[in-house]
Amino acid sequence: MEDVKAYIESGVLELYVLGEVSHDERVEVEAMALKHPAVKAELAEIEASMERFAGEYAVEPPAGLRNRVLNSVLTNLANDNTFRSRQPEVTGKIAPMPVPEKNDFYKYAFAACLALLVVSIVALADIYNQLQVSAHQVAALSTQNQHFSKTVSLQNDMLIMFRDTAYKLVKLQGTARNPSASMMLAWSPAKKKVMIDMGSLKLPVNDKRHQYQLWAIVTGKPVNLGVFDVKPDSAAAIKVMNPVENPQAFAITLEPRGGSVNPTMANLTVISKI
Amino acid sequence: MSKSRKISLTEEELVRSLRNRERIAVEALYDMYSSSLFGVITRIVNETTTAEDVLQETFVRIWNSFSSYSADKGRLFTWMVNIARNLAIDKVRSKDFRNQNKNQDIENTVSAIDEQQSTTYKPELLGIKDLVSTLRPEQKSILDLVYFKGYTHVEVANELGIPLGTVKTRLRMAIQELRKHFN
Repeated sequence: MEDVKAYIESGVLELYVLGEVSHDERVEVEAMALKHPAVKAELAEIEASMERFAGEYAVEPPAGLRNRVLNSVLTNLANDNTFRSRQPEVTGKIAPMPVPEKNDFYKYAFAACLALLVVSIVALADIYNQLQVSAHQVAALSTQNQHFSKTVSLQNDMLIMFRDTAYKLVKLQGTARNPSASMMLAWSPAKKKVMIDMGSLKLPVNDKRHQYQLWAIVTGKPVNLGVFDVKPDSAAAIKVMNPVENPQAFAITLEPRGGSVNPTMANLTVISKI
Repeated sequence: MSKSRKISLTEEELVRSLRNRERIAVEALYDMYSSSLFGVITRIVNETTTAEDVLQETFVRIWNSFSSYSADKGRLFTWMVNIARNLAIDKVRSKDFRNQNKNQDIENTVSAIDEQQSTTYKPELLGIKDLVSTLRPEQKSILDLVYFKGYTHVEVANELGIPLGTVKTRLRMAIQELRKHFN
């Protein structure tokens, strides 16, 4: 009890009532008041006398101030009531933040991207196929075009040949072994060019191991003018052979593929004299 | 609820209705305590318009932070007057208030000086003449410094050039005198 008395007399309770104590002191005073009724009673005495003391200094505020103060407090009351009435509703309806929505967006976006990718790949494959077809068509057309231009060129040559008076048309007649065989060739003494008219060829079709060889007889000796094939579906109109000067005669023999140095007279098929 | 009839409740009733956020509690609070609080605020602030503002702030603060008041820890008035004192002292120490006092008009200066020089002419303080006379000057000054000027007891010790323990005992003696006077 001596401690309590000393505590009371230390003056800390007065400071406590005046709000002049630190946080630790405040906690201590409150603990002492709970523990010792004497401290609590002393505190009550001090508080009561300070309240009386303040009462002695009391100043009646101006009459208008009452409404002003009440209004500003009651504005707060209104705010408070708004909050208080709303708070239970809010606490009852607390819902998780719509975070999944955000996740959904990326999920859908990813799915959309995948779908777009698949569609793109399919479209790309389709376009690639179409491109391949077009490329084939272009190749075919180009081949056809080449073929036509070659044909036109040959036809042109043929026309030139027929129009050019310098060309001499020579008809080769079948020998005794091939009486039905015949063919035409053109020779220009000025240009020394020799051309075979493939359209008028009437020669037996040669096999794969043999080829026909054109010879010119110049001063009694045979001169090789090149080889050619006779095919059943041959489309070539004109074949240009090796040039020759001053031929006395033309002859064609059937020779092994690639041609021979000297003609095999046994296989003489057609012959002509100029 | 007319202005002429002031509302008065027991402290327990008042605390309960304040806790329940009742309108009538605010009115009762004002009617019961505004003059005591305004007296303390006026003593500290020394300027009527500012004192009125501080009183308003005090009631708003009391209302808004009432949940932090606990009857176990003391009387309602002790809690409220400390709020009022702190707000008033903060106001006096604020830059605005000090500048405002420096830039007073010439007409106001005379009365301001008057107010600062003598407290005896204040009509509201006439009633406590005998109370002040019961306190010895050193008790009165220490109570003034702590209660109305917001000095901490350390600051008081420095101001008066006395040991910290003496500040505490003198303050206690002053309040003991008051207790004797009121009883």
